[in-house]
Amino acid sequence: MSLFLIAALPFLGAIFPALLIRAGRNASASAAGLTSFLAFTGLMIHAPTILSGGVVTARFDWLPGLGLNANFMLDGLGFLFATLILGIGMLIILYARFYLSRHDPMGQFYTYLLLFQGAMVGVVLSDNILLLLVFWELTSLSSFLLIGYWKHLPAGRQGARMALAVTGSGGLAMIAGMLILGHIVGSYDLSVILQNKEAIQASPWYLPALLLILLGCFTKSAQFPFHFWLPHAMAAPTPVSAYLHSATMVKAGLFLMARMWPVLAGTPEWFYIVATTGLVTMVVGAVIALFKDDLKALLAFSTVSQLGLITMLLGFGTKIAAVAAVFHIVNHATFKAALFMSAGIVDHETGTRDIKLLGGLRRMMPITFGIALIAGLSMAGIPPLNGFISKEMMLEETIHTVWLDSQLVVPALAIIGALFSAAYSFRYIAHTFLGPERESYPHAPHDPGPGLWLSPAILVFLVVIIGLNSATVAGPIVKAAAGAVVGGELPEFKLKLWHGFTPALYMSIVAVLGGLLLLALHGHLERVWNNLPRPEAKAIFDAVIEALTRLSRTITDGLHNGVISRYAAIMVAFTVGIGYYAYATGTTGLPTRVPLEAPIIPIIGWICLVVATLAIMWFHRNRLLSLVLIGVVGLIVSMAFNYLSAPDLALTQISVEVVTMILLLLSLNFMPTETPVDSTKARKLRDAAISIVAGLGAGGLIYALMLRDFAFPTISGYHLANSYKGGGGTNVVNVILVDFRGFDTFGEIIVLGIAALVIFALAESVLSSNVRAYLLNRKPHWPQSGDAHPLMMVVVTRVMMPIALMVGAYIFFRGHNQPGGGFIAGLVVAIAFLMQYMASGYTWTIERQRFYYHATIGWGVLIAAATGLGAWFNDMPFLTSDFGYLHWPPLEEFEWATAMLFDTGVFLAVLGAVLLALDSLSRFAWQPGIQQEYPMDINPQRDAPPVPGPGPDTVIPVGKET
Amino acid sequence: MIQADLYIILPEIVLALYAMAALLGAVYTTKDGMGPVLVWTTAALMAVLAIWIATQDSGTRVAFGGMFVDDAFARFAKVAILLSAGAVLLMSQDYMARRGLLRFEYPLLVALAAVGMMMMVSAGDLMSLYMGLELQSLALYVVASLRRDSAKSTEAGLKYFVLGALSSGLLLYGASLVYGYTGTTLFSGILVSAHHGEVSLGLLFGLIFLISGLAFKVSAVPFHMWTPDVYEGSPTPITAFFATAPKVAAMGLFARLMFDAFGNAVSDWQQVLVVLSVLSMFLGAVAAIGQRNIKRLMAFSSIAHMGYALIGLAAGTQAGVQAMLIYLAIYVTMNVGTFAFILMMERDGQPVVDIDALRQYSRRDPGKALAVLILMFSLAGVPPMLGFFAKLGVWQAGIDAGLMGLVVASAIASVIGAFYYLRIVFYMYFGAENEEPIETRSSPVLWAALMGSAAMMLVGLFYQFGVEGAAAAAAATLVN
Repeated sequence: MSLFLIAALPFLGAIFPALLIRAGRNASASAAGLTSFLAFTGLMIHAPTILSGGVVTARFDWLPGLGLNANFMLDGLGFLFATLILGIGMLIILYARFYLSRHDPMGQFYTYLLLFQGAMVGVVLSDNILLLLVFWELTSLSSFLLIGYWKHLPAGRQGARMALAVTGSGGLAMIAGMLILGHIVGSYDLSVILQNKEAIQASPWYLPALLLILLGCFTKSAQFPFHFWLPHAMAAPTPVSAYLHSATMVKAGLFLMARMWPVLAGTPEWFYIVATTGLVTMVVGAVIALFKDDLKALLAFSTVSQLGLITMLLGFGTKIAAVAAVFHIVNHATFKAALFMSAGIVDHETGTRDIKLLGGLRRMMPITFGIALIAGLSMAGIPPLNGFISKEMMLEETIHTVWLDSQLVVPALAIIGALFSAAYSFRYIAHTFLGPERESYPHAPHDPGPGLWLSPAILVFLVVIIGLNSATVAGPIVKAAAGAVVGGELPEFKLKLWHGFTPALYMSIVAVLGGLLLLALHGHLERVWNNLPRPEAKAIFDAVIEALTRLSRTITDGLHNGVISRYAAIMVAFTVGIGYYAYATGTTGLPTRVPLEAPIIPIIGWICLVVATLAIMWFHRNRLLSLVLIGVVGLIVSMAFNYLSAPDLALTQISVEVVTMILLLLSLNFMPTETPVDSTKARKLRDAAISIVAGLGAGGLIYALMLRDFAFPTISGYHLANSYKGGGGTNVVNVILVDFRGFDTFGEIIVLGIAALVIFALAESVLSSNVRAYLLNRKPHWPQSGDAHPLMMVVVTRVMMPIALMVGAYIFFRGHNQPGGGFIAGLVVAIAFLMQYMASGYTWTIERQRFYYHATIGWGVLIAAATGLGAWFNDMPFLTSDFGYLHWPPLEEFEWATAMLFDTGVFLAVLGAVLLALDSLSRFAWQPGIQQEYPMDINPQRDAPPVPGPGPDTVIPVGKET
Repeated sequence: MIQADLYIILPEIVLALYAMAALLGAVYTTKDGMGPVLVWTTAALMAVLAIWIATQDSGTRVAFGGMFVDDAFARFAKVAILLSAGAVLLMSQDYMARRGLLRFEYPLLVALAAVGMMMMVSAGDLMSLYMGLELQSLALYVVASLRRDSAKSTEAGLKYFVLGALSSGLLLYGASLVYGYTGTTLFSGILVSAHHGEVSLGLLFGLIFLISGLAFKVSAVPFHMWTPDVYEGSPTPITAFFATAPKVAAMGLFARLMFDAFGNAVSDWQQVLVVLSVLSMFLGAVAAIGQRNIKRLMAFSSIAHMGYALIGLAAGTQAGVQAMLIYLAIYVTMNVGTFAFILMMERDGQPVVDIDALRQYSRRDPGKALAVLILMFSLAGVPPMLGFFAKLGVWQAGIDAGLMGLVVASAIASVIGAFYYLRIVFYMYFGAENEEPIETRSSPVLWAALMGSAAMMLVGLFYQFGVEGAAAAAAATLVN
């Protein structure tokens, strides 16, 4: 049968139990059993090839882009494991049929079990490490489902979580290890990797890869210090424990170590990491197991210990140790699964697994007793059972092992481990089945039907057979598997009971006798043990997780505290950092330009600028003062433009400054005089440091860049040359605005208009909401001055009005050749109107307003658009300009450019936008019944103390605005 | 001439015109009454456009003198953007409608954001880059604060806006430096000037600042600070949107800029990207552990995922870009499913975002719990889910490009990160009994999104819907 089919069968079969559960539990179980049986048969067809040392492969390119091929390979090792998985799987299916109660969802159980089985078969048959990883994690996943389906396990929750967290994480770490391995070799196919021992062990990435892969193996196989999850996962139903947690899943780690043995083993790193871990696990597991009262917990720790033993053997790195490891894998799978099932029977029949409540069951449950006795003795290493032979081989190996120049450490610890495992095995038998009968058990114990005891009985039969006839029964398969592990010639070895009076035999005897002694002293030892302060791995795990969670929360909450200035600070700081990195790694040529000379006046201006900027920082809480300081900064910038020969920019800048200042002043009206305190000293210092560094960095960068040539000459030459020729103007800035970049300007005035309309719309929606009532009843923070519209100012502004308009017109018309233009003219005229608002008051001005600002904006945009369209009539692209000269007799010759019409549009749009914004804002301030509503009015109460008027809380009915 | 150019950007034009026409149409009719209709028509239009773009096989075309590039790479990203944006729109309809948030502007803002994103991935010039970026960002700023009566939502929008403006400033600064030292804003022109070893300091600074600006958009650490707050504050459908299409667009733009403009100077930007990637993966993994709010958790999750995607970019190879694109496609699919579930989570009609509410969820709705389990495993990158292959792809690309250290660090980060995904699964299956169970009312759309995306995580193992081939073609056009 094709390997694809063997691997796929459990997955395909997985749907049937869930479907057939309606037809009854027997049908469901039979479907599952039949699936396993078919796969098993398929496997056995290959047995002759494998046992004679052959390898069966099946290849299929799945995702070649990723190097992921669905390649399967069946060799001795894979065959051994697949046999265990499918064989024990069938027994478990039989056992579970009778173990699960009527209320358990059996269909689901079998489905998940088959999924798990498929995943395990996939792991052991994969010839591609990526494929192996896929199946590897699938085992974690399906085991999670298997535990998760069991609804009644309040205690098991933690266990399930730990199992998933530990094995899942280990698997993820292993992915990285596998990737490194694949990179070193250049292929992800195991058969290729296994040929490249030298390349892998010589690579500098050998150790990281080894560590990552071992992390996956150790977590999966519950090796110290990850051993703690296994006992806690035992809350799962017994068939699951027997199958996953003793016979198959936990052996996946061992399998992988054995699989990788040819390329990874044999180095000191391998020896010290793997052998030491195995040794420690073996001893620790055995000692803890002796003091567990829960039957399954006892068996769980014994599993940990036995897995440690196998790991240690693999870690030794010698071929004969590998043989012993393989043999012990077989033996452990048989006796441990049988023991688990016997524990399950006891639990099932007596209603408890607590060893303290049991004892004396041998008469009531003779069959179970027989099974447990044989399996237990095998685990203890009593001849002639199979456990004895492999334990003997293990002890033999330890004698030849030198650990850090010490001959004694390994054998001594191995004896301790063996001694304790003998002790817990004896205890399992003695305290459950021997001893006096109790007066009452939770249920009346009796042997179950054959459905339950048949499976363990078959396994026990194997235990005996292998023990008596190891060479013939287990020999071929062990030889085939071990051959696959060492990947070469096997040394001579004999599986037999009697090796003569060897040191190993004496060690075995010591272990068994010591085990009996420990059992006899168990009561005393237990008291000592219970009083011993010992670290509880689960508690440590929980504490570590808890601490990490808290740590993470501290970091996160500390970092992401919602304060935006911190966010910005981090961004800026990091940018400065990578800026420095760029500076450090980049190449700077020598300066190619000389700095301009700096006379004293500009330096004074520069100092003013810096001082004003710093002063803003200092006084920023006082709004009025900072506004004034901002004005100073703007003024100096305008002057700087002028000084650097950009009068046009200076003019624009200064008019923009004035307009924005006025708008800001207006809005100050609605704000408290001071901003709230929002920064602590420390934060200010931090921010100051960051901004100073960033500012100096940016400044230094600009300075350095300005001293060097750019990649190409500046564009100003082109514009200077073409400004008059192409645009008919000598003012380059204006020509750029209205001609060369006319399209941009056209877009900009539209944006400006939209912005003003949005301000209007926002004001409108605010004023039509209930905010209006609040505004109307607002009481100023301080008494208003008696003459809000003083006589002098009113008179001056009215006189100024025509002059200002004239200036605007002048600036507009000269714009094309001299500093000026529509934009500036619009601002100047807007300022002329703003003065009226400020001096004479909103009501007075609005009464004299002859045109709508909305319409002004609209006309501006339309005129500009029409100018552009006009070009189309002359078969020119949009906005192509033309110019000519006009001579009206009294006036001098006058240039007439289409750009000027366009500039009119700009002028109108700017004017309308500024005034609309101002108008919208000032409507917030409007209140009915303000005494000094009209210019030059005097509030009669100016000298009286302010009258307590209606507070902002009392709402007066909102009338319609005038 | 102009007609040919216009024809190349026809999909963008159609979507933009549709958005504007629909906006006017809705204003003059029933306004918010049009909300549901517009959601469906927008999503339908997006789907149609996606199919149209996907079936175009027109090689590489350039419009407007190189400012706009239509090639396999752009098409791949656009299809992903349009499909995910459309899916998220449909998913949001029920949620938004029941909470009175289904304003008619919402689908149109999403459509305009999508136009911006399509511009971004097609940008062939620093100007069109910026135009697309801002069009997208402005729409996103607005939708982030769509719930105007919620302080959290408006705060989120404002924070996003202020920090976004800062990052735009950095980006523009960088763009101007690049222009200053190459004399052109066209990527193809920059490519000629920027050769490794000859990159002048000014150009290098320009590159660095451009990267800073873009890192903000992909929310790579340390430019990620806005992400958790915005994810938490925005209405959940908006969060879902944030987590999907804009990420594709930003990564697409990132890749385009790096390869089209600085493809000859890979080693000048590789190290920066490696740093961003490592920081993102670790911060995303560590910080998410402490989160109880599933939206914040997903924010950190998306940060970490962007870190993984950046590995592909940092590799600087064709294989890397291909892996990154596949990563993004898978990431988006996973997030659509996950957010479909988050959108369902509610109690007494109120949305619930606390992960504790998921305790014992598997008993109430085993089907959905299983789907979420698959998605969580996939997000964690556990084989055999599709999420694993996404990671595998970028890791392989990274290793082949010699970034072994980055890949190992990334594997460690993924181990840490697995913890919080698995915790959600654990809560659903084994959590302590919950006093206040959640309901998960699901509209058919949400149900389909959840189940479909979960199924995809498994189906994708066997059939990739041509994504792999398209990504390969896309990467080939970009890198060569």
